[in-house]
Amino acid sequence: MKKDYIIVNNLTHTYGDFVALNNISFGVKKGDIAAIIGPNGSGKTTLLKHIVGLCDTKKDVIRIGGKHPKDMRKHIGYVPQHFTFDRTIPITVQEFMALESCAKIEHECKNIKKALRAVGMQKFARQKLGTLSGGQFQRVMIARALLHEKDILVFDEPATGIDVAGEQTIYDLMKHINKERGSTCIIVSHDLSIVSSYVNTVICINKTLVCQGSPEKVITPKKLKALFGAATGVYHSH
Amino acid sequence: MIRALVAGGIVAILLGWLGSFIVTRNMSFVGDGIAHASLAGIALALLVGWATLPTAIVFAIIIAIGIYVLQHKTPISSDMAIAILFTTGLAIGVILLHLSSGYQPELMSYLFGNILTVSTQDVITIVSASCIILVLLAFTYHKILFTTFDPDGAYLAGVTPWKYDIMLYIVTAIAVVLSIKIVGIVLVSALLVTPSAISKLFATSFASFTFFSVVLSFVTVFVGLLLSYYLNVPSGATIILTGTSIFIVSSIFVGIRKKLV
Repeated sequence: MKKDYIIVNNLTHTYGDFVALNNISFGVKKGDIAAIIGPNGSGKTTLLKHIVGLCDTKKDVIRIGGKHPKDMRKHIGYVPQHFTFDRTIPITVQEFMALESCAKIEHECKNIKKALRAVGMQKFARQKLGTLSGGQFQRVMIARALLHEKDILVFDEPATGIDVAGEQTIYDLMKHINKERGSTCIIVSHDLSIVSSYVNTVICINKTLVCQGSPEKVITPKKLKALFGAATGVYHSH
Repeated sequence: MIRALVAGGIVAILLGWLGSFIVTRNMSFVGDGIAHASLAGIALALLVGWATLPTAIVFAIIIAIGIYVLQHKTPISSDMAIAILFTTGLAIGVILLHLSSGYQPELMSYLFGNILTVSTQDVITIVSASCIILVLLAFTYHKILFTTFDPDGAYLAGVTPWKYDIMLYIVTAIAVVLSIKIVGIVLVSALLVTPSAISKLFATSFASFTFFSVVLSFVTVFVGLLLSYYLNVPSGATIILTGTSIFIVSSIFVGIRKKLV
């Protein structure tokens, strides 16, 4: 049986007196596609920030390949839930992508074109970032995360603002990368049909770990009701 | 006049380049705060007889770091931090000037700029310090841009954002002080902002935004200095009005072009 590659061990996070995460523990195996699901305010984004190394995590609370997240941050491609920027600043899509390697566009041109093509944004390379729609920008963020064949991809609600066809493209792409490169993927998604179709492990949290397991075992009406507090189901189209 | 053109030209290039980062980071009033607070350093130098520019630079760096620390390590917002330190520096400067005996004629040239007071020693200091900063910016351009636009992304890519943030604050402080003799304390922040504001109207990429900021800053200072010399009016005000005129004309041009398209 494969050992866990990403280990979260008794993680607690507070914002002042507010407890965002309370003693969460789980593991994700190398090469898995894991989904973190939970109601709003359950701590999903905070958890992801700890995993990618953006929070001050105590030693041994999170280990990725045996290392602290801060030591693994260069191996992680991260798409945050929200990215705010001044839309009037004249930075182009390809300039934004080239930031990732702190390089000139000419040095990264081939990789940038490849990544943009993968998300269907190759025609927008020279367009100003501020002129893109929310969904188009989200695709660029995903392309940036895919730029350098990272070992771990962490996507916080990657389909936000993206149309149905685009959403399918994003998740098919994620699955393709997972298969071709063996990248470990962690996504936060509210779309349970996507979760049940694309992932092989589901982690349910509501400030603490509620359950973890395969989609078939976790995404059941009983467990979803326990997690979300309301009757929830997944409808599959045929 | 030649000394002023050389010093003004190099400072214009520096402020134009820095201005593209300052405007992108919404730090426009940091330059203003540092400039006003540096009056304390100038007043101290005048009181004890130290070299003015180096003393003002040291003081400005302290103020810049103070603004950064207040913004990032306390709940105080950026505008509050600038207001506190800007007024404190100004107040210290006023007290120190009061302690200096007699009228200080050179004070007016620091407040409003005076090309006639730019000495050969000033030119050497300004040019050498500016060249060092320009080389530093050239080497760190992409990292500063990354931390400017996406500090979390920069951190995940292995960059240490706070180092480049502090560096930007310090070089801004130095650049502001270097330009005080040309433009004056009261108006120097406009030279950080106006060329970038004009450039933003035309730029189609960040590279062109930076390029036009530098070119426009140079043109503004060069034309402003010449006008100031031949019209015998304060250099700082003339430079700023030149910049504003270019901004107005550019805005009208862009507006007309949009309507025609």
